[in-house]
Amino acid sequence: MAALLEVSNLHAAYGLTRVLHGISFAMQEGSITTLLGANGAGKTTTLRALCQMVKTEGEIRFGSERLDRRATEDIVRLGIAHVPDGRGTFVNLTTEENLRLGAYARKERAGVDDDLERMYGYFPRLKERRAQQAGTLSGGEQQMLAVSRALMLRPKLMLLDEPSFGLAPLIVKELFGILRSVNQTEKVSMLVVEQNAAMALELADHAYLIETGRVVLSGTAADIKRDDNVRRSYLGY
Amino acid sequence: MDAFLHQVLAGLATGGIYASLALALVMIYQSTHLVNFAQGEMAMFATYIAWTLINAGMPYWPAFLLTVLLAFVLGVVIERVIIRPVENAPVLAVVVIFIALLVILNSVTGWIYSYTIKTFPSPFPPEPIFGKYMSTHEAGAIGVTLVVLVLLYLFFRFTPLGLALRAAAQNPDSARLVGIRVGWMLALGWGLAAAIGGIAGMMVAPIVYLDPNMMGGILLYAFAAALVGGIDNPWGAVAGGFMVGVLENVLGAFVIGNELKLVVALVLIIGVLVVRPSGFFGKVLVTRV
Amino acid sequence: MSRKQLILIAIVLLAACALPLLVSNYRVFQFNLVLVYAIALLGLNMLTGYNGQISLGHGAFYAIGAYCAAILMDKYGVPYWATLPVAAAVCLVVGFLFGLPALRLEGLYLALATFALGVSLPHLLKYHHLEKWTGGVQGIVIAKPDPPFGLPINADQWLYYFTLAVTVVMFVLAWNMLRGRIGRALMAIRDQHIAAEAMGVNTAMVKSLAFGVSAMYTGVAGALGAIAIQFVAPDSFNIFLSIVLLIGIVIGGLASISGAIYGALFIQFVPNVADEISKAAPWAIFGIFLIGFVYVMPMGVAGAVRMAVARLARKAQNK
Repeated sequence: MAALLEVSNLHAAYGLTRVLHGISFAMQEGSITTLLGANGAGKTTTLRALCQMVKTEGEIRFGSERLDRRATEDIVRLGIAHVPDGRGTFVNLTTEENLRLGAYARKERAGVDDDLERMYGYFPRLKERRAQQAGTLSGGEQQMLAVSRALMLRPKLMLLDEPSFGLAPLIVKELFGILRSVNQTEKVSMLVVEQNAAMALELADHAYLIETGRVVLSGTAADIKRDDNVRRSYLGY
Repeated sequence: MDAFLHQVLAGLATGGIYASLALALVMIYQSTHLVNFAQGEMAMFATYIAWTLINAGMPYWPAFLLTVLLAFVLGVVIERVIIRPVENAPVLAVVVIFIALLVILNSVTGWIYSYTIKTFPSPFPPEPIFGKYMSTHEAGAIGVTLVVLVLLYLFFRFTPLGLALRAAAQNPDSARLVGIRVGWMLALGWGLAAAIGGIAGMMVAPIVYLDPNMMGGILLYAFAAALVGGIDNPWGAVAGGFMVGVLENVLGAFVIGNELKLVVALVLIIGVLVVRPSGFFGKVLVTRV
Repeated sequence: MSRKQLILIAIVLLAACALPLLVSNYRVFQFNLVLVYAIALLGLNMLTGYNGQISLGHGAFYAIGAYCAAILMDKYGVPYWATLPVAAAVCLVVGFLFGLPALRLEGLYLALATFALGVSLPHLLKYHHLEKWTGGVQGIVIAKPDPPFGLPINADQWLYYFTLAVTVVMFVLAWNMLRGRIGRALMAIRDQHIAAEAMGVNTAMVKSLAFGVSAMYTGVAGALGAIAIQFVAPDSFNIFLSIVLLIGIVIGGLASISGAIYGALFIQFVPNVADEISKAAPWAIFGIFLIGFVYVMPMGVAGAVRMAVARLARKAQNK
């Protein structure tokens, strides 16, 4: 079956500095795929390249649409929600305003209120703070907010950039549990970039390992977990 | 005491106009971090459009509304055509472009309408309703200012488009990630600013008479108001406007004389910039080195 | 400086000296003003072009210099040439003092503060408590100086040569300053001021001095201008004068000494030509040229000349 997302020979550069040197990978619909790698390997750049936030060469296919050379705003409208590193919270707007903005690009306006309630169901703490300025939320709460905002789009594909960053392990477990559940019940495919390989491999079905802008290893999460090099370099045992 | 009260009330009336212009300035600053030096001339140009419509026989309020619409369009066009190409250019280039805009608007108006002073009608009856304290036009101007401010508040707070505009101004990158077309939001912001400026121009023209150079001093007061209130704070701009209006009038009438009133604006601007750049209500901006 | 450049300058100077003997008195007066503007533009360029501090209020310093000259000549009978050092000193101090609070302002905020200065100065000049000195709205009229030692030239021609001499002196001074350590310090602050500070440049002192010297140059120009026009009045020194000076350095070329001359020629003669079309036309043309130059020729005429010369030199080399 045709892949949901197919990336072929993707190059990306910040100005004159090339960061991605021909990345290729694919994602099936309904899967959770993780991109692993050390700091500076090019994982974040890959996600930004998918949303055309950096200059790219190479092909990016989302279903039957090509993403390269489209504006970020248009890519979002195709049903791709990006939870950026740093969370990208609108700090001067309230929690609820942040969530409503997540639904801005949706074609079906009906059901926004229902979806809002659903997000509050997943993350009751957000409901407590719904009228508060989002900048006053804790790191963990802002991460939940960022994920919820992305879900408000009712996306087909969610891109998550280091969702575990700066969060206590228990919170990460809670968050990843909700991601798994959303993936299964709402059929949202997810591409997760993570430095925390252990937790990412628990969550994902498939994994790609990126080193200095190239894919060096790919396979099911189970296989990757057993790979000796990965165990030693990224899992620490 | 009477004279003092009169000056305060008159100050509130002109303060409303400063508040409107300051609000327009802050709106543009919030979304682009640019100071629109041409704001005054844009407002003046819109007022001349109104004058043309009224002189052609259109009754006041329809002309008013049509002018607001045309000013909006003008703002959008200016942003898309002239400002967009230099959004990320070095500061000097941007300043030069704004000055060029100022100069072109001023000279085109002078060319079309000549520099002779014209009268501009007030929609409010000339009989003083509030006795000797305030002319009806002054009261009306305050009223119009407040209506505009309330409408703007409602727009920004309760409509999806208003929310999108706020989001685009605060965090353009995140805004793109939720599908907001940031470029068009900027244009919308400029359109609104131009429309507000036009309303301010139409309220002040009956008082200072219509001439291509009428907005120079007023723009300065608006700058002072925006800075006093905090250049990234719309509420501050409004409060600042009323404060500056009253201060200008009271100082002018009782302390320094009318000729030096504009110097008050100069002192305020430099004072605020040096002593407390974020204004009374703004946020302190920390730039990373 | 290469021999070729020296020869070029010598030719230009010779032409400048011969000029008054070849053209009408009115033209001499116009070229006199070109020299005046050139000095003013050099001053502004030092601050904005070389040092990156944007000033939309330099008309104020021009006005202060002009009024210094007028008041000294009219009220105290000081000879015209003696007013120049006074105008220079006054503007140096005022500029430096203005530069001190301006230290804390960057880019747009400095532009805003100087814009406020430019807009409000005429009002200060019209202030009735100062009328005894400033002549209020009507201003001051001053007499044109006569050529000394009974030279066989008329007053306009003498004034032109006098201004030319002052111009040459001031340009040489500026050239000396800008090509050495001071110029490099100015540009270092403009381009990377934190790095400059880290390298030991006393940025605060340099920036304030830059303001002072820049104001001094423009003030001397103002004094010379007042003497040439024989008249000062508040409304001649409104915000549009400051804008004209900005136009001059953008068109002429930022961070360029020759740019001051190109710019001066532009702002003196374009209005003369454009006035034929309409009173408003010169400004519309200025505005359009400004926008055009920012997009197409950001280095100004001086930059274009430099590139053309470089291209010719390369062609000559390749032959």
